[in-house]
Amino acid sequence: MEEIVLGIGITALAGAFATVAGAAEDTESDIGSQGDPNSQVQLAPQMGYIHRIFNKAISGEPPAYGAWCAIGAGVAWALMQVNFNPALAIILGSVIAVFVQGVYCTSGYLGRTASLAKFQQPVYIDIIKSLLSVTMAHAFVAIFCTVAMCHLMATALHHPFALPLLGLVWGIALGAAGSATGNPFYGKERQYQNQKFGAGVPISASGNIVRYAEAGQRSSLDNGWFTTKFAGPASGICFGLIVFLELWRTVLFEKMVAGWGAIIVGVILILIFTFIDRWIEVWGRKTYGPYTAAEEASS
Amino acid sequence: MSALGGAAAGGEGINPTGTLVGIVILLVSIAATYALGFSIIPLIGIIIGGAFVGFGVHFVPVGGAPAAMGQAPGIATGVAMLAAGAGLAGLFGGAWAFEATGDFAIAVAGGAVGGGLMMSITCMMVNATYVFAMGIPAASGKVAKDPITGDTFPEYKSQGTEGHGLPFISFFGGVIGGIVTGLGGTLIYLALLGIYETGLPVIMQAEPAAIQPLAISLAGIFAIGFFLVNAVLAAYNITGTIEGPHDPKFKRVPRAIIGCAVASAFCGFISMLIVLNTGM
Repeated sequence: MEEIVLGIGITALAGAFATVAGAAEDTESDIGSQGDPNSQVQLAPQMGYIHRIFNKAISGEPPAYGAWCAIGAGVAWALMQVNFNPALAIILGSVIAVFVQGVYCTSGYLGRTASLAKFQQPVYIDIIKSLLSVTMAHAFVAIFCTVAMCHLMATALHHPFALPLLGLVWGIALGAAGSATGNPFYGKERQYQNQKFGAGVPISASGNIVRYAEAGQRSSLDNGWFTTKFAGPASGICFGLIVFLELWRTVLFEKMVAGWGAIIVGVILILIFTFIDRWIEVWGRKTYGPYTAAEEASS
Repeated sequence: MSALGGAAAGGEGINPTGTLVGIVILLVSIAATYALGFSIIPLIGIIIGGAFVGFGVHFVPVGGAPAAMGQAPGIATGVAMLAAGAGLAGLFGGAWAFEATGDFAIAVAGGAVGGGLMMSITCMMVNATYVFAMGIPAASGKVAKDPITGDTFPEYKSQGTEGHGLPFISFFGGVIGGIVTGLGGTLIYLALLGIYETGLPVIMQAEPAAIQPLAISLAGIFAIGFFLVNAVLAAYNITGTIEGPHDPKFKRVPRAIIGCAVASAFCGFISMLIVLNTGM
């Protein structure tokens, strides 16, 4: 019984770490413009819209975070092997991973922006100076929380994978959850704030991203401020739910029904989320209604 | 005709020459495995697991960059990336279940449910973002009516777009994709674990219990590698975006299964060479 209570406590803590990691990951990727919406940041100068948005996408978020979390977890694991305190080892591992992220961001911005020279897009050094530290700070929170969560899984919940391997697995899952949930909000609601609310961006408007703020030109810091209102917390909830429920069903139900308990609970959870998703879809259709009459649309 | 003046390539068809070459590679890999004294059962498990991953990736609704602007339906990220996220979450669950129970069926089912759970939560949050934050209802661009719910889409598609969000058929495809890729990834892991658990103690001349953590880590690393090989191959077959099982691109799936089986056979053979006892 004591083991189960401890397991539930660890599960809750890991879920909380995952929630913070998801929120920080999405905000970092929106400030740095790393996910799929970055296609528009890259496209805009080619359509004649010069901007001051950070532009650092080299790979997608999942492999990038897989690499950074694996580096953080790997260094932390190595330090723990030589008897470093786990908290200190995780912090040092995350710091080293964040330096790798900083190098990646700098080369990403310089390389991507320099490739747009023929379209008169300047390389703004002040953008690197002002935004690099902000993305690194958010990446530190995301990497630290993910590595700490993996450490809990490895030591307290006795998952068979070694810490670096857990860092890679959950880093990729973190990037996948964050980019899936957060990208549309940054891509549509923020980059195309000049388009009508409640409709997709017409393909003809591609590249015409919003470049001006209330005063002066829009900075990527403004994008971080905006996306933390929904995309960041939503990504956090998404990743937090994934981690929490995956651990919860295993810790509590694994030994029931001859080992099939966790699987049965997993299937029930999938059905519950399917029901919620369908409810959201129907609610959206009823609340917003069709854009055109059915006959007109089909004609 | 292609841009270079040659015959048009791609599409849904299966290239007979390419398939023949692939099957030869697959058979040579199996024969070489047998000739070196390994059991071919784990390799068959790896091949089936790889084919499952390639098959499952085609179910995952991925809209890529256009989905991030509400210009196309699907999840706004890359095909291989999302499938890897789901499949690896499944692999995590499957490996854990096998550690706790030692039961093959429970581990494989655990991997499948882990992948499905990850995708169901992600797909639900995608729709929550579209509906509650962006005010955009789901609409498919490939079919006029949802094959499961019967919802009609043309009137819910905003002007100048190919659709947006995740209609129920795409959500269903995402969950099935997560289940199948999670199952495939766990199958590959268990096959590799069996090879390393018996092979490593022999070549390292150590107690099996002492080698166990190394065997688990090696099997995990190789399983992730196999997973990415198959997911990327399937992504190349999809070329860009796919809405789910109702998308016409889904018809290309036999080609991906053949490709992934061949790649898995060859990579599986290479992964076995680590524990080849050369007597040195």
